Amino acid sequence: MSKHQTDIGNLAAVGRRGFLQASGGLVIAFSLFGAQEATAATPAPGAAARSSMTPPPAGKLYAWLAVHPDNTVTLFTGKVETGTGVQTALAQFAAEELDFPIERLNVVMGTTSETVDQGPSYGSRTVRYAGPQIRHAAAAGRKALLDLAGAHFGVSANQLAIKDGTVSVIGAPDQSVTYGTLVNGKRLNMEIGASGERFDMKVAPAVHTKDPSTYTVVGKSVPRKDIPGKMTGQFTYIQDVRVPNMLHGRVVRPYGVGSTLLSVDETGLRDIPGFVQVVRRDNFLGVVADTEWGAIQAAAKLGSTLNPSGPDAAQAKWSSWDGLPPMDQIWETVRKAAAGSNAAAANVGSVDMALDFAARTLKATYKTPFQMHGSIGPSCAVADVEGDRATFWSCTQMPHETLRDMAKMLRMPPEKMELRWFEGAGGYGRNGFDHVVADAAVMSQAVGRPVRVQWMRWDEHGWEPKGPPIVQDLLGALDSNGHVAAWRHHMWIPTTSDTHLIAAALIGEPDVTGQTGVGHPAVTYKYNFPNADVAAHGEGRVGLLTAWLRSPAQFETTFAMESFIDELANAAGQDPLAFRLAHVSDPRGIGVLRAAAQSYGWESRPAGGKRAEANGKPAQGRGVAWVNRDDVCVATIVDVTVDPASGEIKVGRVVVAHDCGLVVNPDGLRNQVEGNVVQSLSRTLHEEVAFDHAHVTSRDWQGYPILRFSEMPDRIDVVMVNNTPKYPPYGAGEPSTNPTAAAVGNAVFDAIGVRLRQTPFRPDRVKAAMS
Amino acid sequence: MPQNITLTINGTDQTVAVEPDSMLLYALRDNLGLHGPKFGCGLAECGACTVVLDGNAIRSCSTPVSAVGSAKITTLEGLGTIDKPHPLQKAFIEEQAAQCGYCINGMIMAASALLAQNAHPSRDDIKQALDGNLCRCGTHMRIVRAIERAAGQGA
Repeated sequence: MSKHQTDIGNLAAVGRRGFLQASGGLVIAFSLFGAQEATAATPAPGAAARSSMTPPPAGKLYAWLAVHPDNTVTLFTGKVETGTGVQTALAQFAAEELDFPIERLNVVMGTTSETVDQGPSYGSRTVRYAGPQIRHAAAAGRKALLDLAGAHFGVSANQLAIKDGTVSVIGAPDQSVTYGTLVNGKRLNMEIGASGERFDMKVAPAVHTKDPSTYTVVGKSVPRKDIPGKMTGQFTYIQDVRVPNMLHGRVVRPYGVGSTLLSVDETGLRDIPGFVQVVRRDNFLGVVADTEWGAIQAAAKLGSTLNPSGPDAAQAKWSSWDGLPPMDQIWETVRKAAAGSNAAAANVGSVDMALDFAARTLKATYKTPFQMHGSIGPSCAVADVEGDRATFWSCTQMPHETLRDMAKMLRMPPEKMELRWFEGAGGYGRNGFDHVVADAAVMSQAVGRPVRVQWMRWDEHGWEPKGPPIVQDLLGALDSNGHVAAWRHHMWIPTTSDTHLIAAALIGEPDVTGQTGVGHPAVTYKYNFPNADVAAHGEGRVGLLTAWLRSPAQFETTFAMESFIDELANAAGQDPLAFRLAHVSDPRGIGVLRAAAQSYGWESRPAGGKRAEANGKPAQGRGVAWVNRDDVCVATIVDVTVDPASGEIKVGRVVVAHDCGLVVNPDGLRNQVEGNVVQSLSRTLHEEVAFDHAHVTSRDWQGYPILRFSEMPDRIDVVMVNNTPKYPPYGAGEPSTNPTAAAVGNAVFDAIGVRLRQTPFRPDRVKAAMS
Repeated sequence: MPQNITLTINGTDQTVAVEPDSMLLYALRDNLGLHGPKFGCGLAECGACTVVLDGNAIRSCSTPVSAVGSAKITTLEGLGTIDKPHPLQKAFIEEQAAQCGYCINGMIMAASALLAQNAHPSRDDIKQALDGNLCRCGTHMRIVRAIERAAGQGA
């Protein structure tokens, strides 16, 4: 499975490169048939003796592909699976260009010593950017194998044909050889060329790739490679990784976000079976034990519990700290921060001048709260730090970057460190997965043994980086014909990219790695209003640590933009769909709006807008919204039933028209879109992180409810638009998250005549809006 | 202090050295190396740790080992394998009913307890049986479809 192979470049190059240089190390591989293998336990013989753990050179074919004697192939990629199915999608690209059966193609993801850094797996960018890199590497692989076969048979390449990983001489069917036999266990040492880095890397730029109109694997609903193992308990998640001599660790976080550690009373800890020691370094506090249960018990004594009652209530005493702003005034705090940048997304004509001539002007403010990623599996990692060498086991979205962060934090040479990547529970952005690596590193370094750290639920809810609260002011003016004459959309957005590590701050080195980005206008303005002013006041950290959460800030800006469009349509007395179509020129935007309307059976009429009686009967409504996110267009139509008596919103049918260009795996796309719809419904209806002046008080699923089965939509119809080889695949991880909140809010207005301008749309908010 | 306790797991008696008041989940995962039941919350709120105990779906993260006694425990591994999947597992694979898949252990185990008691559940029965199980990826539509498929095939 690992690259225990000699080199093979051209035939003369055999043996030129060192045999062991890239061998050893451990990989996780997935296969459609046969058990999932994940040898996490012991480093391979010789691995520790390797002089360097640096990634393979991107310009070498072996950095991407290995062909094994049993005629299986391994694809190596620095991208990782996060539950969205990209592993299978990337395998489809490789199988396609390699003319190799996808069932016999395994994928190694993320492990830093085995894969090229292709950039983090975020931003709906994996298929879009890594897809072409892998496509070119695999095409180069096919050419190399063809050259080998030519030499093998003594014929030229144009006399050869390839089918399913077997090369035959045309017209002589008895003359055939498999890729596995051709390569004969050697390493693919051919130079294929690579330039640039990460997302922008170009691999084998000169190689001829297939015409997408001839694809037979890309574009098919190939079953996901990871699913059978996951359904049977045979899959190894990061939480399942165990290494020899390992201790179990738990963190004990400060009571207040900025509390300092005053004292630790270790009374009774030694009575806990399996307890080993407390790890204390400045404000970092943790415990390690031989057993998980022992670590949990010890951490609880020090204060790691669901409901801690005060900074000095447990055996670890923290300073009082109450630096968080009031929860109900968080948006005023965000506005006041206003020290960041001002960035324009659109500046057309003059809004102020147009207002002088407007027939009607509307204003509204939209508010959205802190929300969390809420992974079902809490953050978990194993670290083995010893001397100037370290190994990490992690499910991070960004293995190569996380390793560099660890090198900085531990002040160790990165070439002596390795991160072995294993999949975790879905993360949906930068949650605690990177932070827990740092926790494990600090603890392992302190105790000199491998330490596995798994956050408790309250660590996850309380300390994972959140999506930021956002406030948005909108102003729109209609002319006497009911057209939009002016549009102003100003947003105040704290950072969605604060990459400072929690553990680094706690050990007293907050700036050893990471940076605090500034919120930016996370909106794609695609209306053609004659006067428009769209801008973001970008802030740094406001209150809690924040980082990217699925479709960072664009879920929120789309909510405001697409709700306010409906407000204008209503003021103009027009059908909300027709009103949008009258103000959009983007053909792909028009395409998804029309496709959604057709699939739904949209009949033109203005939104109902009739105010329901407070205890009236449940009322039905429909709502539409759309988005363009990074060249992907999505229109969503939602049916809701609102019960005026309870304030409850029930979602019935959802139609999503989705244009991400060529779809690599149609069933995978449907799965992803369904997931985005349900998750964003949850964020729309339920989710708001609560906090007091000291810390997050949403510390479990009671305190942070998410959507349950009883609330799932009746059906979700996905319509694929422009799914054709004429267009490249743009990436579908996030975009269909965006329209949901506006579509639901617009449907609620249609049903009961109440405009909801603040998520989540909890029943109490609906009732309050009605009164 | 740890004691030797014998548990009947997936049809086999297994002895583990654990503290009697420690939770069953850790015995299954750490002592017996099972990957099916997962730690999700430790608070019986999400269902990732679900196992079937004498026919009932229970939360192993909040069930002390001492409370198990001679009850028969079935985990995800006890249902089937990739090569010989249980009809529920087969239906989940056929429906591609997973994204990250971390919660799916709980979904399949809760569904297996449901189908044992009600071979032909309605969609509402299924939703009700799973209402205490959380999925964050939003795979609800497929999970319900998979259980309906398995029920239709007499799982």
